[in-house]
Amino acid sequence: MTVEHSAGVPADLARTVETHGKSVAAGDNAAVLADFLPDRVGQLIASAYVPPKLKGAQVCSITEVGSGRYDAIIRYTKLDDRWFELRSRWVRFDDGSWRVWSVRNIPDTPPWMNVTGPSPDGLDAPHWEGLRAGKLLLQRCRRCQTWTWSPRPICPACHSFDMGFEPVDPVGTIYSWTRTWQPFAPESTGHLPYVVVLVALPAAGDRRVLGVLADADGVTPEIGAPVRGQIEQPPDERHWPLVRWHLEKQAR
Amino acid sequence: MTGFRGSTAVVGVGATDYFKRGTSPLSSAQLVLQAILAACDDAGADPRSIDGFVSYAGDSSEGLAIGAALGVHEVRWSTQVWGGGGGAVAAAVNAAAAAVFSGQADCVAVYRGLSEASDGRGAFNKGHMGHLYAAHGVLAPAQVCALRTQRMLEVDGVPPSALEAVALAGYHHAQRNPKAVAYGQPLDRDRYQNSRLISEPLHLYDCSRENDGATAVLVVSAERAGDFRGIPAHILSGVQGAASGWTESAENEQRYISAGFHPALVKRLWAGAGISAEEVDVVQVYENFTGPAVASLIDFGLCPPGPAAGEFMTVENLTVERGRLPINTAGGNIAEGFVHGIGLVAEAVRQIRGGSPNPVGDADISLLIGGPMAPLVSSTVFGSAATV
Repeated sequence: MTVEHSAGVPADLARTVETHGKSVAAGDNAAVLADFLPDRVGQLIASAYVPPKLKGAQVCSITEVGSGRYDAIIRYTKLDDRWFELRSRWVRFDDGSWRVWSVRNIPDTPPWMNVTGPSPDGLDAPHWEGLRAGKLLLQRCRRCQTWTWSPRPICPACHSFDMGFEPVDPVGTIYSWTRTWQPFAPESTGHLPYVVVLVALPAAGDRRVLGVLADADGVTPEIGAPVRGQIEQPPDERHWPLVRWHLEKQAR
Repeated sequence: MTGFRGSTAVVGVGATDYFKRGTSPLSSAQLVLQAILAACDDAGADPRSIDGFVSYAGDSSEGLAIGAALGVHEVRWSTQVWGGGGGAVAAAVNAAAAAVFSGQADCVAVYRGLSEASDGRGAFNKGHMGHLYAAHGVLAPAQVCALRTQRMLEVDGVPPSALEAVALAGYHHAQRNPKAVAYGQPLDRDRYQNSRLISEPLHLYDCSRENDGATAVLVVSAERAGDFRGIPAHILSGVQGAASGWTESAENEQRYISAGFHPALVKRLWAGAGISAEEVDVVQVYENFTGPAVASLIDFGLCPPGPAAGEFMTVENLTVERGRLPINTAGGNIAEGFVHGIGLVAEAVRQIRGGSPNPVGDADISLLIGGPMAPLVSSTVFGSAATV
């Protein structure tokens, strides 16, 4: 593989990245940690997922991204010859050495969290069952037709006890968003950073739902941007399907 | 104004040291007891004469157990504010004042203690992030407050520099507070901006700490305040609540980018205290995160909304030396230490009573703003003797 360095990549950076890849592949944790910016070692360790045994590392590219920072893509080969890639951002530290500012697995994939499925109070159970049936269901009063989210035991508008769930077209706009970098749970490792969007759904009286924005690596979302939801099937039976959101122009 | 105004006062403040989370040598209950005993010492009060206990946010030390450990003569009032995490901190003070004002107790201890060894990791957050959040990777209050802050920045046009000013003001004040966790660790623009991102737009220094520790204050009737040591901080007014459509709705709150202090609530606070926003001398504003603190000051009319917030929210303007509105004068949750915001109560009182590391000259009105963007929010106005 040919290494694609953009013009002007410092030679000492190229050497550092090369050595870093070899340290990761060799499982030399002390050497790897020494490459991290000291104020974020914990965050970096938990950001990228790296399988326990690797047999090789190949620097694919080093690209300047502005402000004196560079992105390096390193391809790691597993024992079974399958590979995966990490993209690390490098910055010159106070002591003159190049250090890792951030790191992530690419391409980006959304996390599957351990806390999922119906809440202990059961109020949202039809929503989750709906996802298994391939539909986004939100709560709606059968008497006064008011959409309610999150679910309530009675209708706050008319006090009816006859609350139902109805399918909603998963099309809306971004009401707000955040890109999360901190590993708040072990399951987020390998998926950080990920973007969560709060989506307003016109088809449900502008009720808002949370979800991960798919394909958000390198994307700065904009409030008001149209998004479309797709139900993604979980990797195993323990998890429940989830609506992932796609910027409208990317929706398939 | 009502008969409640100035009828009660804080006459004692006590605090433990702040410990890095998980390192307190004392249990959560022992920390609370140490803080209450320190508050009694500050007041010159007999700990056995305490007859009321108030806490909030699921404190693991129930009032009756604390009363029993102190060997009090009688427990007449034991209550906890429901829900809202740190949003209930001022509500707890208000509940104590309500008990004393209505004659249901004579001397009420308001306290909050946290010890990770006793209470577990993230005890301040228990039960707040349900499945409709967590399944989508939203596990921490930082992420919820980030979502709301992002809309405040992007839609309302509040500049990010307003957030930075909150963090830097707290750190500035902490440099004169030897008890502060950030004492001796000044924060400048570069370090703030180069700190790691937690959940955009929040950087590390936009986020409060997590500490072991406890703080307590004693509330008595203003008539009896002279029986205790020191200068009383009168409770002029207090509010708590959640507007219609605000609370527990998985990010469907109306007025989404406010901190939750809706206009009717703010109006009631000022009316109760008989003051306007311009008369506030110093503010302890709960910064779970800097964004919610900015939103709070906007809600209270202490800071203009939108882009103009950037002109008001400067380090110079928020610090004691030359500021129009000094905030978080002991360092706040971000730089002094975080035990669910109870430290802010102590500092709000000390600005009237004395003992602040950064006293605001001739402060007569000291405002406490509890946990913004929480399901429940609350606030208390403390006043000097001159205000009563």
